[in-house]
Amino acid sequence: MSKLNIKNLIKSFPSMDRPAVNNVNLDIESGELVAFLGPSGCGKTTILKMITGLFQPDSGDIILDEQSLLKIPTEKRGVVMVFQNYLLFPYMNVNENVGFALKMKGVDKNIIDQKVKEMLELVKLPDIGLRKPKQLSGGQQQRVALARALISNPRILLLDEPLSNLDAHLRDEMRDLIVTIQQKLKVTTIFVTHDQEEAVLLADKIALIFDGELQNFTSPKNYYEKPKNIKAAKFFGGVNFINAKKDNHNLSTNIGTVHYKGENYTDLNEDNIITIRPENIKLSKNNDFNDNSFKGLIKSVIFSGTHTRYKIIVNDLELECSLQSVGLQDIKTDDTIYVHLPSDKIWAMNE
Amino acid sequence: MGGERLKIILSLTPPLLIIFTLFFGGIFYGFLQSLGYQPAIGKYEINFSAYYNVMFSERYAKLFWTGLGLNLWVSFASTFLAAVFALFGALAIRKTFFAKTICNFIYSLNLPMPHLVVAVGIIFVFSQSGLLARLASQIGLIGSPGDFPVLVKDKYGLGIILAYIWKEAAFFFIILMSVLQSLGENFEELAQSLGANRWQRFRYVILPLVMPNLFSASIIVFAFSFGAYEVPALLGVIYPQMLPVMAFEFFLNPDLNARSEGMALSIIIAIIVMILVVFYFWLTQAKIRKD
Repeated sequence: MSKLNIKNLIKSFPSMDRPAVNNVNLDIESGELVAFLGPSGCGKTTILKMITGLFQPDSGDIILDEQSLLKIPTEKRGVVMVFQNYLLFPYMNVNENVGFALKMKGVDKNIIDQKVKEMLELVKLPDIGLRKPKQLSGGQQQRVALARALISNPRILLLDEPLSNLDAHLRDEMRDLIVTIQQKLKVTTIFVTHDQEEAVLLADKIALIFDGELQNFTSPKNYYEKPKNIKAAKFFGGVNFINAKKDNHNLSTNIGTVHYKGENYTDLNEDNIITIRPENIKLSKNNDFNDNSFKGLIKSVIFSGTHTRYKIIVNDLELECSLQSVGLQDIKTDDTIYVHLPSDKIWAMNE
Repeated sequence: MGGERLKIILSLTPPLLIIFTLFFGGIFYGFLQSLGYQPAIGKYEINFSAYYNVMFSERYAKLFWTGLGLNLWVSFASTFLAAVFALFGALAIRKTFFAKTICNFIYSLNLPMPHLVVAVGIIFVFSQSGLLARLASQIGLIGSPGDFPVLVKDKYGLGIILAYIWKEAAFFFIILMSVLQSLGENFEELAQSLGANRWQRFRYVILPLVMPNLFSASIIVFAFSFGAYEVPALLGVIYPQMLPVMAFEFFLNPDLNARSEGMALSIIIAIIVMILVVFYFWLTQAKIRKD
C-alpha cells in the first residue's frame, strides 16, 4: 500500500494554448480507489502519464511514500498502467502476456508460471493461458491486462478508461471485478474516466478536472450533495441554480428568503449561488410545507418511465423537479403548484 | 450477369495475352534453350547436359559453386545489414526531433535512385581512387590512396554489399517507418511501466512487432539482390563472379552453344529465388495457422 502526493503539478505542450495540467495538488491515501473524472482533453491521462514517468512535468512534484518519483525511471517506479485498449502483446499467449513483468525482472520460470496461474484465477480466467489475444473477447482482454498489471504487486495501479471499450453488461461485471480485486489487494488505484456514473460507482474519491485544473477532490456523495462550484454541480447533473445573498443566517433570492442549514454559511461570499438536486425538490398542489415553499407554474411535465420530470416557473426562475414513477396525479401544464426546497437539501456555493 | 462477365473477360484479354506471351513465353523459351533446344543452330535434342555442365563439369563447377557462395553471402549480408541500419535509423528518428525531416529525406532520397547510379557512387566514394581514399591520404591516415583497403571490386563482394545496403536500407526504412508510426508508442510505454528496460523493450516488444514486415521486406530484397545483374557487373571481380553476371557472360559468348549454359544458370537462379518465395509463403501460412 502506498500513499501518493501530487504537488503543484504543471505540464504544457507546445501545441496547446493553455497548460494541459495546471497546478494540480492531490493527496491520495494508501489503498484508496480514486477516479480522475473530466471531459476528453482535460488532462486526466496526462497526469497519469506523469505518475508513470512517461511524461515529465514542467514543475511540481510527485511523491510516493515520502520519496519523489521524478528522478526515478518509469521501469523502476513500481507504477503500472493499464491502457484503454488493453494492449496485449499480439505475438504472446495469455500466460506470456501475464508473466511479462516478472520475466523482465528475471524471475525464475517456475515462479512465473505459479504467479501467472494465481493471477488468472484472480481475474476469473483460469483456463485461457494458451490462447492468443485475438482469440479473446474484449472483456477477457481487459481481465488479462489487469492480471498482467497486478502480477508484479505494483505500488500504484493506474487504469486509463478501464471500462470504456466494453458493452454495458461487461462493464458491470468488470466494475465489480475491479472493486473486488482492489479491496482484496488493497493496492492504491487511480482510474481515468469521463463517465460520471462509472466514477461514482467505483471510486472512494473523485478528482474532477476541467481544462487541466482540479475543480474538486472529494467523495462521490459530496459531489451530489455539497458541490464546490457550479461546474462540479453541473457535471453531476445539477440543473437548479439560484442567485442568492447572505441575509442574517438565511439566503435572500428573487423567489424569496430561503432558510439555510449548510455548515459552510460563514465561508460563503455575500453573493453566492444556491443549488438543489431535482430529486430533492418536493411539490404540493396545496401549500403543505412550513418553510422554503414557493408558488410556481408548471411549464412542462415529462414522464420518463421511472421518473416524471417537471419544469416549474417560480417568479421568472425555472426550476426542475423529478418525482418517482408517475409523480403527482392530475398535474398538467399551466397548473399552479407549490415548490418546497428542504433546507437540509439546499447547498450554497461561492461561484 | 453473363454479359457482364464476358465484358470483363474481353477487356482483360489483350493485356493478359501480352503478359502471358512475354513473361511465360519468355520463360518457356528460355527453359527450352536451357534444355539444349536451339533450332537456330540445329539443336533439337532435349536433355539436362547444360545444367550438369554448369554445376558439375570440370570447366564450370568451381566457378558455379564459388559464384553461388558469393551470391548467398552478398545477398544475406546486404539484406541483413540494410535491415539493421534501417531499423536503427527508423527507431532513432521516428520521434519528433529537429533533424527528423532532413534524415527522413536523406533516407527516402535513395529510393528512386537507380542501382546503377548507386554503384557508380560507391566507386566514387569507396574505391582506392575514390573520395574516402583521397581524404584519408590528405589527412595522413594512410600513406597514399593506394593504401586504402580494397572495398570495391574485391573478392568478398564488399563493394556490392555496400551498394545494396545504401540502396535497400531506404526500402526497409520506408516500410519500418510506416509500421512504427502505425504502432505508436503505447506498447513500449506499457512495457516500460511493466518494468522493461530499453534493451528489453527492443528485444521483447519492438522486434516482435516489426518482424513480420521486416521479414517480408527481407525476402523481397534478398530475392532482388540474388538475381540482380548491374551492381555485381560494375562492382564485382572476374573471379569469383556472382551468378547473374556469369549467366549474362554465357549469353554474350559468341559461341551460341554456350547459351544453353547461360539459360540453365538463369533458371537455377530463378528456382532458388522461387524456393525462397515458397518458403516465405509457407512460413507465413504456418504462422497464420498457428495463430
